[in-house]
Amino acid sequence: MQQDNIAIEVKRLRKEFKLSSSGKGFLGKLKALFHRKHKIITAVNDIDFKIRRGEFVGYVGENGAGKSTTIKMLTGILVPTSGTANVNGIVPFKDRKKNAAKIGVVFGQRTQLWWDLPVRESFDLLRVIFRVSRLDFDRQMTKLDEALGLRPLLEMPVRKLSLGQRMRCDIAASLIHNPPVLFLDEPTIGLDVLAKQSVRNFLSEINRTEGTTIILTTHDMNDIEQLCKRLIIIEEGKIIFDGETGFLKQKFVHEKVIEVEFYEDDCVMQGIPGVTVVREQGCKKWLTVDNDSSGIGEVIGAIAFRYKIKDISVKEPSVESIIRNIYDNRVKLPLPSGKTIT
Amino acid sequence: MELIKIYLTLFATSIKERMEYKASFLFYVFAIMTFYIGQIGLLFVLLNRFHQIKGWTMGDMVFLYSLHAFAYGFTNLIFSQLINFDKMVVDGEFDRVLVRPLSPLGQIIFSKFEVSTVAHLVIGFTALYFGTHLAGIEWTFKKVLLFPVIVGGGVLIAGGIRLMVTAVAFWTLRNRSLVHTVIFSSKEFINYPINIYNMGMQYFLTFIFPIAFINFYPAHYFLDRSGEGLLYPALEMGTPIVGIIVFTVSAFTWKVGVNHYQSTGS
Repeated sequence: MQQDNIAIEVKRLRKEFKLSSSGKGFLGKLKALFHRKHKIITAVNDIDFKIRRGEFVGYVGENGAGKSTTIKMLTGILVPTSGTANVNGIVPFKDRKKNAAKIGVVFGQRTQLWWDLPVRESFDLLRVIFRVSRLDFDRQMTKLDEALGLRPLLEMPVRKLSLGQRMRCDIAASLIHNPPVLFLDEPTIGLDVLAKQSVRNFLSEINRTEGTTIILTTHDMNDIEQLCKRLIIIEEGKIIFDGETGFLKQKFVHEKVIEVEFYEDDCVMQGIPGVTVVREQGCKKWLTVDNDSSGIGEVIGAIAFRYKIKDISVKEPSVESIIRNIYDNRVKLPLPSGKTIT
Repeated sequence: MELIKIYLTLFATSIKERMEYKASFLFYVFAIMTFYIGQIGLLFVLLNRFHQIKGWTMGDMVFLYSLHAFAYGFTNLIFSQLINFDKMVVDGEFDRVLVRPLSPLGQIIFSKFEVSTVAHLVIGFTALYFGTHLAGIEWTFKKVLLFPVIVGGGVLIAGGIRLMVTAVAFWTLRNRSLVHTVIFSSKEFINYPINIYNMGMQYFLTFIFPIAFINFYPAHYFLDRSGEGLLYPALEMGTPIVGIIVFTVSAFTWKVGVNHYQSTGS
């Protein structure tokens, strides 16, 4: 069957949240108690995608774009307002327990481990909860220990682990039952460079050797660049890009952004050739240099010559700014295909 | 069988977790015991003051209290973790319960070890002992057999009510004040035979908020009383049935609530 090939399928998936606005001041709050005004927020707006077995997909978007809400529907935490999802052939929010047995979940912000107990106890307990045989468990632990260096951490209570150590343990915990699909919600958040790298190496390895399908949300461009062949970008609940990471990299990542802040009396910048203003915020502007004209040095020179500059720096664009670029472009200036975003 | 093993492991872990803070654990046990010794003392003071209320002697009341103490003790043992449940919803901690292949309610129930239960049961037995003597209860074979059934029904009623008010958190997020009002304040009502209240209150405690079935109605049977209470004697043995009804409705409410869970941002 062709379906065997598909790990995750999402069809017109939608999640709305009802926000009740409480009034201002005491009287307003009292009024709101009896007369509630509801505001419907659409966090995920009829999205569709398919992920094949063994894919490593980056799922990115700004804060509040709907990433976590999507992940929570796929892990069975949230029930969607409408639409369907299928993970390993199971509808997650209808069959939570069955789904849970076949997925691994890591939330970067929150540990899955028992806070006051040694790491080993958490692993043992998860082994029992996920009904993993002692033999399979030992085999899996040997593998995880080799890759993540868990041995020295096993006897430590979770509360005493550093963030990087805890993340290694959390990732190991999510893989005790060797799930075919792994969801990672910001697994590198707050980690130092070394810890990030060791987490990335490990994820890339299990994706390659075990064929684990991995969906990763992150704000770190390097995670995406090093790990995800495919990228899905979500903005205001809609998918605005779904394609190869290579394509985006080519277009944006090597395009440097100049961040300039002018003095207030000199805020209007005009007439610098080969420069496009990507974004502005008061007297702060973000510029890109068009490829075919002058280089970065020349542009900075020209700006500094004509205007009083408070601060200037050259930056690699973040995922955030790339997303904003794509989004703004889509809304404001629909260019014929083939042209890059300016 | 396997499921029992899983839950027992979960339970054992909760004890280990508690023992991580040994001093605090011991202090807690001590505090609980002191509190309940005080409670027993208070009970006797009260009973000495009113020798009889509406035809209920001191011994009858002590027995009434013992039924309540047993039901309350076991309810606390099983459902104590529900008291803090709204925090799990507000903080999004409930997320992690949902991504494990076990019933969410089962995981919550077995995630805390409630020491105070021991004290409740000590009180229950003490009150049962004195109640039997003072009221001169004759423990026939049938009574001995029915006692745990009645306590079990009481646990279903008290636990069901707890589960129901807890589930409200799925809609309102914070509901601690509701939980405290319903669970802790309401139990004072049934420390006395409910026929001391007016008719409206009696109907309320029988049909709407049926905690009178925890001790008042079944106590008639054990004390060989007759002719009191609403609809005598139809409700005397109603406890297990009412328990099953209350708990079923609560479990359903809980289930609907879980599907309504909103998690937290990010």
